[in-house]
Amino acid sequence: MYGLGGTLGTVAFNSLLAAESPLKPKATHHPARAKNCIFIFMEGGPSHIDTFDPKPALSKLHMKEFSRKSKFASAMSSGKRYYVASPFEFKQHGKSGIPMCSEYKHLSTVADELCLYRGCQGESVNHPTACYHMNTGNRFGGDPAVGSWVSYGLGTTNQDLPSFVVLPELNYPQGGSANWSNGFLPAHFQGTTLRAKGAPILDLLPPKGVTRDLQQMNLDALRKVNRLHAAAHPAHDALEARMSSYELAFRMQAIVPDLIDLGKESEKTREAYGIGQSATDAFGKRCLLARRMVENGVRFVQLYAGGWDSHDYLERAHSARIRSVDKPIAALIRDLRQRGMLDDTLVFCCGEFGRSPDNGVRGGGARVGRDHNAKAMSVWFAGGGSKAGHIIGATDEIGDKAVDVVHPIKDVHVTLLNLLGLNDNKLTFFDQGRYKQLSQTGGQLIPEILA
Amino acid sequence: MKRQFFTFTLAWLAIALPAVNTQAASDEELFIDKVYPLMKEKCLACHGDRPDKIKGGYDMRTYKGLLAGGDSGEAAIVKGRPDQSPFFVALTWADEDLQMPPKENDRLDKAELAVFREWIERGAPWSDPNVKRALAWGDVSDDGMVVRTRGGLDDSWTYRRYAVDGLWAYQPIAKIESPRADVHPVDAFVDARLTEAGVKVAPRAEKLDLLRRATFGLTGLPPTPAEVKAFLDDGRPDAFDGVVDRLLGSSHYGEKMAQHWLDVVRYADTSGFSNDFERPTAWRYRDYVVRSFNSDKPYDQFVREQLAGDELSGAGPEGQIAAGFLRMGPWEHTSMSVAAETRQQFLDDVTHSVGVTFLGQQLRCCKCHDHKFDPLPTQDYYSFQALFATVQFADRSLSFLENENTRQMATGKARLQRRMKNANNRDKYLEQQVQNIVARQLQEKGPKGMSGEERKQAYELAMKDQKIAVGKATRKQKMYYEREGKRYEPYAFTVYNGPARVAMSTKPIMAMPKPAQRKGKPEAIHVLTGGSIESPAQEVSPNILSVVGGFASPDSSLTKSTFSEGMRGRRAALANWIVDRENPLTARVMVNRVWQHLFSGQALAGTPNDFGKMGKQPTHPELLDYLARWFMDNGWSVKKLQRFIMASETYQRAAAPVDPEVTQTDGANQWLSYFPPRRLQAEELRDGMLAITGELNREQGGPGTFPEINWEVAFQPRLVMGTIAPAYQPSPTRAERHRRALYHFRYRSLADPLLEVFNRPGSEMACDVRDETIIAPQAFALFNSEFVHNRALALAALAQKNGAAFPQRLNIVYRRLFGRTPSAKEAAVLKNHFERTLEHHRASTPVEEPLPLTVERESVEELTGEPFVMVEELDNLKNYERDLKPWDVNAETRALAEVCLVLLNSNEFSFLY
Repeated sequence: MYGLGGTLGTVAFNSLLAAESPLKPKATHHPARAKNCIFIFMEGGPSHIDTFDPKPALSKLHMKEFSRKSKFASAMSSGKRYYVASPFEFKQHGKSGIPMCSEYKHLSTVADELCLYRGCQGESVNHPTACYHMNTGNRFGGDPAVGSWVSYGLGTTNQDLPSFVVLPELNYPQGGSANWSNGFLPAHFQGTTLRAKGAPILDLLPPKGVTRDLQQMNLDALRKVNRLHAAAHPAHDALEARMSSYELAFRMQAIVPDLIDLGKESEKTREAYGIGQSATDAFGKRCLLARRMVENGVRFVQLYAGGWDSHDYLERAHSARIRSVDKPIAALIRDLRQRGMLDDTLVFCCGEFGRSPDNGVRGGGARVGRDHNAKAMSVWFAGGGSKAGHIIGATDEIGDKAVDVVHPIKDVHVTLLNLLGLNDNKLTFFDQGRYKQLSQTGGQLIPEILA
Repeated sequence: MKRQFFTFTLAWLAIALPAVNTQAASDEELFIDKVYPLMKEKCLACHGDRPDKIKGGYDMRTYKGLLAGGDSGEAAIVKGRPDQSPFFVALTWADEDLQMPPKENDRLDKAELAVFREWIERGAPWSDPNVKRALAWGDVSDDGMVVRTRGGLDDSWTYRRYAVDGLWAYQPIAKIESPRADVHPVDAFVDARLTEAGVKVAPRAEKLDLLRRATFGLTGLPPTPAEVKAFLDDGRPDAFDGVVDRLLGSSHYGEKMAQHWLDVVRYADTSGFSNDFERPTAWRYRDYVVRSFNSDKPYDQFVREQLAGDELSGAGPEGQIAAGFLRMGPWEHTSMSVAAETRQQFLDDVTHSVGVTFLGQQLRCCKCHDHKFDPLPTQDYYSFQALFATVQFADRSLSFLENENTRQMATGKARLQRRMKNANNRDKYLEQQVQNIVARQLQEKGPKGMSGEERKQAYELAMKDQKIAVGKATRKQKMYYEREGKRYEPYAFTVYNGPARVAMSTKPIMAMPKPAQRKGKPEAIHVLTGGSIESPAQEVSPNILSVVGGFASPDSSLTKSTFSEGMRGRRAALANWIVDRENPLTARVMVNRVWQHLFSGQALAGTPNDFGKMGKQPTHPELLDYLARWFMDNGWSVKKLQRFIMASETYQRAAAPVDPEVTQTDGANQWLSYFPPRRLQAEELRDGMLAITGELNREQGGPGTFPEINWEVAFQPRLVMGTIAPAYQPSPTRAERHRRALYHFRYRSLADPLLEVFNRPGSEMACDVRDETIIAPQAFALFNSEFVHNRALALAALAQKNGAAFPQRLNIVYRRLFGRTPSAKEAAVLKNHFERTLEHHRASTPVEEPLPLTVERESVEELTGEPFVMVEELDNLKNYERDLKPWDVNAETRALAEVCLVLLNSNEFSFLY
């Protein structure tokens, strides 16, 4: 047993009041290339050098010692250091020749769908602050997540489901539910966490022994006493809104279990996503759920896959992590393509930062890994108007920092919004004395990423 | 309406302002006073301020560049012809491909466009923008006022004009008499505006509504049936004054006020970020706040203690605890963070927090550049920051005070020892976990898929992996327990003055360094160019916000403040400046907060943390000033102020508009023709239910307690640096779990979902006004959660015990919930409901559900990249006193509980009128 945890998230207000609902569909700022977004977050900091950005130059430097002292370096990356060559083999794939490490046996088969971007840079080498930065544009948490901004900007088509759904791992990422917070936006735009086991939404169902009939009786009685109360307070609009939220909740109790029932998918589909196989089962379910959510009108789905923080035992740990996501992600992309959904659905995959070409080699040469590196990382896009089969930007020859088409995280955010038909400079909300936006103070589009 | 207000505001400000200068502008004046400031505000950020990052190749720093245009090669300005000038066309946003400035909110309005049009028509004359213009500080022209400050990063900012109405908060607090002597001054000011607006006022509230409003408002709890009866039976005209006195004297008063204060200062018992480690004695600050409000500590003293309690001679031990305020924000420093950055992060946090909390100033806005809207230069930001340059964190030894609650400490320590012991015992579960892993592999590969040797290898590998993962998690958990142990030791979470030191937050206690290490040079504070610690510019001396002195008269005490550059006394001087009677911000900010909390979150100035231009202007500026003076004249007494406001008709009005047209003329009810109704806040809802069922434990203070929260959330693994944190375990006794929400142990990374869903704010940002959104998960929380079902059952059992039959029982329930008896219609609906559900409950017998004694927690170990499982024993659940459950009671009580559940979910319970 494990919990859904932290945040309940928020569900579309009410279809009865759809006209006034903050989640009713809204016009885009410009024609959208993507209608929906699936955001895959690899928490822990996957190594670009060992996945999508091979650095043969490191082989010559392997285990060469140097020392780093800087007022602006953390204790983790200061002192005696050694360069570390990648333990992985690389091959180029598809017509586009996107390189991937040999552990990516499945994703490599859809390489031509990906738009690989190697120019992104963050600012923080600490997990929670870097996660907040990637998710909310602000390193210190408390601001709205990308999915909240998108929900605020676009609304959603299915008023009976949340607009922004988060599929976390069993454990929440560092920094907790602030990673999908609505921040200063109204609570309607908060990420709703859903999971494959236990109560999909917290308290979605009443305690054991409370049957649907009994609950229906309670709801009837509640309606009646509320009606009598409303008669004495005719000017108070919130009363009706509150009663409506109960009606919606009651409907959702029926809809949600059905939506997350993966038994409704064919055996073949489940197999393709790696469901039922121990390495891929958990993430495969999240990927398949993501597709079902988008199919049912959820605007923005975020999935987590953690455990990438390989300071030690890089080869073993990264192999295991890649195996757990490789097949499910490939299946998701292929499935979206086959169903004709990939053109409308932007898939975006990133970690909170990349990893360093060097390491402190704690515990001797056998345990080599990599430390955190905010100045270089590999993120990728698929579908949704991104430029399939291209590599954009580059890092230096050892993967220490981005050197070509270099952009801060906020520019990736601006680009993501742009693909969804939103202009970061117009998507603003007034709070604490100024109009705030996802990019904080404005960013730039990365045109190279657009198809 | 808006226009009238504007006119009024100007008249009010005119008291303090010199005459308006309205001469036609020369070319030079036009450029320097109007055109250039607009360019500075709207264009130069991308076209000049950062020469290495000029957008589109268009450099507006020189006249040549301005005319020449950018990468397109086309001249930007055609002199005399605005409509043919690409520069001007871009400003109009007429061409979809070239719209400047690119941000919707920065778009030029008509008046601003007219400035550029006139300027280009005149031939786009250029003058040196750094020539100081003839207008002196304090002078007002039709473009606004020039405000005296320490000066911006350049002269064009220093001499820019401000719209006068955005400066209201810096003007000296006006000495205003009540417009009428025959009514309460609050009503005199409010009624004047209502009469002007032609809005009819609501009658006095029903006594019951008024009692509920005041009781929740001052204590966060519902009135008891006896309190209701006493008030309804009291026919004296001053009966309500008596109620207010009683409530202000209640020890629960301080708890409610503390809740508001802690929202602003972002109180939590943990430090946030990757470890979210406990701050073992932060609770002493929380209790200090409760005590301060309960004893009606003068607000000026309250401010002094929190800012400088550690260095004021008279502040004593309370002062040490109070100064914990300075480090209340989230903060962490580990080997993964950069020391210089974490230090700067603290300095920025405390600078902004002090600005917001006491002065209503959003100081963070001027960290990287001079404030865009308010007269707050970047130099002020860093000078203000220098007031905190000597602040260092310490957990200092400080005996528990007589008025601190240490009763639960022995029990707490004993429980902790048991848990620590169990953590050392985890290996006993390893064998089983490893067998499970191997069995799963076997199942996947089929019995023939693995040879005996392979099986053995798989076993050994799994054993090794599990040992690594569980060992790591256990070591980490012990770090949490070690901190928990410090909860019961007499330390104060506070600060001292000293030179810079790098302190890791990974130590359970940040010990006070030896005297020799507290001596040395105070840390130097520099203006950081663009806010970056990598670009320090000139060093600054400690000082206050210059704009405040700029508005004061030359002989004001505000202009005479001096600030020590030594190690001690910087903050004491700051505190004195903040509580100086002439400081225009302090009393206004606090009076506004007090008003806000009495009037359902509707403040006089609608953004209590932002008194700047972009904040909301006060709806009743004269009333705000009148109350601010009244507050100071009455010894900064918050209780007196509340008693004064609550005695007004304005406070005691019914909570519905009397005239339906009001929704047209004053939809937001800003003129207060009726009292604004509100929903119960998260804590009021929870504590209120426990009070109604008689389960509330009214004990006050002490280390945080652990309520039952949703079990799935409690057992959910929380990722912390390198592994997972220990499972959440509720306190084992009912009494401990049923303490007020204020006393719950407050994690930054684990919210009680019941409170969170009802808009309890997180503890990252200062929250001035809570949201009141209505969303479906609130219905799940109230209709389905175990907490509310438990309360319904407890209420039913209580009614069952004290009432002879259904009608009497329903009366008991109604009295406790709503302070009244049900109407005939209500009674009929609910009797019918009771009977129908009774049938159901008679036909089904609930089966006891035991609580788990262990929990399996899964995560991925980063060292191996493999999932692992860890069994954690739930010690607190071993001798656990459960709440009343369905299997403890008969079918009648269960059916009555359905009635109670409906009523706990009702709108009547959720709203205050």
